[in-house]
Amino acid sequence: MRKILIGTLVVLGWAAASVASAATGTVLRDEKLLTQPSATASVSGSVARGATVTILAKEGGWLRVTAGKTTGWVRLLSVRAGTGGLGGAGIGDVVGAATTRSDPTRVVAVAGLRGLNDEQLKQAQFNADELARLEAQGVSAAQASGFAGQSGLAVVKVADLPQPKAEQSSSPWGENR
Amino acid sequence: MKVKHLILAALLALTSVPASAFDLGKFLEDRVNRELNKDKPAQTAPAQAAPAQTSPASAQTAAAPQPAKQKIDPTQLGFALFGDYSLEEEVRIGRQIAGNLLGAVPLVRDDALQRYVNLVGRWVAQQSGRNEVTWRFGVIDSDAINAFAAPGGYVFVTKGLYRMLDNEAELAGVLGHEIAHVTKKHHLKVLKQSTLIGALGQAASRKVQGSDPAVQNLIGNGAEIMARGLDKSAEFEADRVGIVFAARAGYDPWGLPNVLQGLAGLPSGDNRTSLLYKTHPHPADRLAELGEAVGDRFDGLHGKDVANRFYRLR
Repeated sequence: MRKILIGTLVVLGWAAASVASAATGTVLRDEKLLTQPSATASVSGSVARGATVTILAKEGGWLRVTAGKTTGWVRLLSVRAGTGGLGGAGIGDVVGAATTRSDPTRVVAVAGLRGLNDEQLKQAQFNADELARLEAQGVSAAQASGFAGQSGLAVVKVADLPQPKAEQSSSPWGENR
Repeated sequence: MKVKHLILAALLALTSVPASAFDLGKFLEDRVNRELNKDKPAQTAPAQAAPAQTSPASAQTAAAPQPAKQKIDPTQLGFALFGDYSLEEEVRIGRQIAGNLLGAVPLVRDDALQRYVNLVGRWVAQQSGRNEVTWRFGVIDSDAINAFAAPGGYVFVTKGLYRMLDNEAELAGVLGHEIAHVTKKHHLKVLKQSTLIGALGQAASRKVQGSDPAVQNLIGNGAEIMARGLDKSAEFEADRVGIVFAARAGYDPWGLPNVLQGLAGLPSGDNRTSLLYKTHPHPADRLAELGEAVGDRFDGLHGKDVANRFYRLR
């Protein structure tokens, strides 16, 4: 019995190690599956919002997934990893609903690890020595630019992203720019 | 001193209820709302009251008789109630929050790590357009998975979150999100609203070396402002803005999404994420929201993930 258990654990461990090639995800919006990780590739199928997929590989902003009998590439931001469903806005977060969704009344228990909770933050006392340590570690713009150059990082022109239409609410946060 | 503040808070709560005579609370509220909404067209700002009435304290005090002829000294309300905070004020506020946070959780004792994070962070921050800010980055010694920003350029990542990262582009993505909170002044906007609600004056005013009592009154107890979190649209905005900062710095723009995927894949009961999920939307919602904004806009980008230089924790 024990041997079987250990054997199972080894198999599970192996599966976990190759997690990029065997993880489950949930599709966040209706999407086409493409034959290559490129918007110009031909379509091999489609997946509907809420569908469960198996994530086989990742390349840049693309994931290779299997849904039923179809396999293809889909945008990284169209799928969430994990089995928790669509998240807060959607359905199906059966397991996650009670445990991971925001619940301000819940007492945060961080047993057995050095956590960080509301009460600790509320009770926190100003620590001048730690702040001095932090401030001493700052670097100059020239140092940062030199560091970036060492690994070939250079400034790229990228436009601001638009605010999605669905989010344009009456919230005061929306009009910040 | 403390009593005076309590009276002030009570008065603010009281006067947020419509009164027949000259209503100072209403006056302040209108002024603050006008300040908060001044970017918007005038007709869309019908002076929405902040949710002061929902707090238990105001519910209790609302029943009490209104004290006659209370005087409020506007300078007691914290600085720059009307108008923008100056850079100096912003740094003063950020410094106090950062010092308090470090009082709860110290820095990881690894100078090479801290220097590395400062170099990456500063490089990303240089793409934010706020170069007048003296940026400071720190990895704090907690297993919780979280990151924090305070006004004036203070940015923190927990050791728990750092351990989840795989390359420099992912670190740049996380730091980009926090830098965006600073450049968009999200916490300063919360402070203006909480001043209105009357949260100020409740701080336990123990004398601590180096601590700034005026700012402490403004931010409440300790670093609790970090536990209260922001409006979820502020988090979505920080994702949108931060991912662009990292991309402008030359990094693979998929760093932040990859970290969010990692968070989404964690078991739902993982207590290392308790505070993160209390203060942030679910990662699945953040991915979906970011996906709407990004679409095909990054298809032409070929950033670097800089995996070989990534500093691994010992």
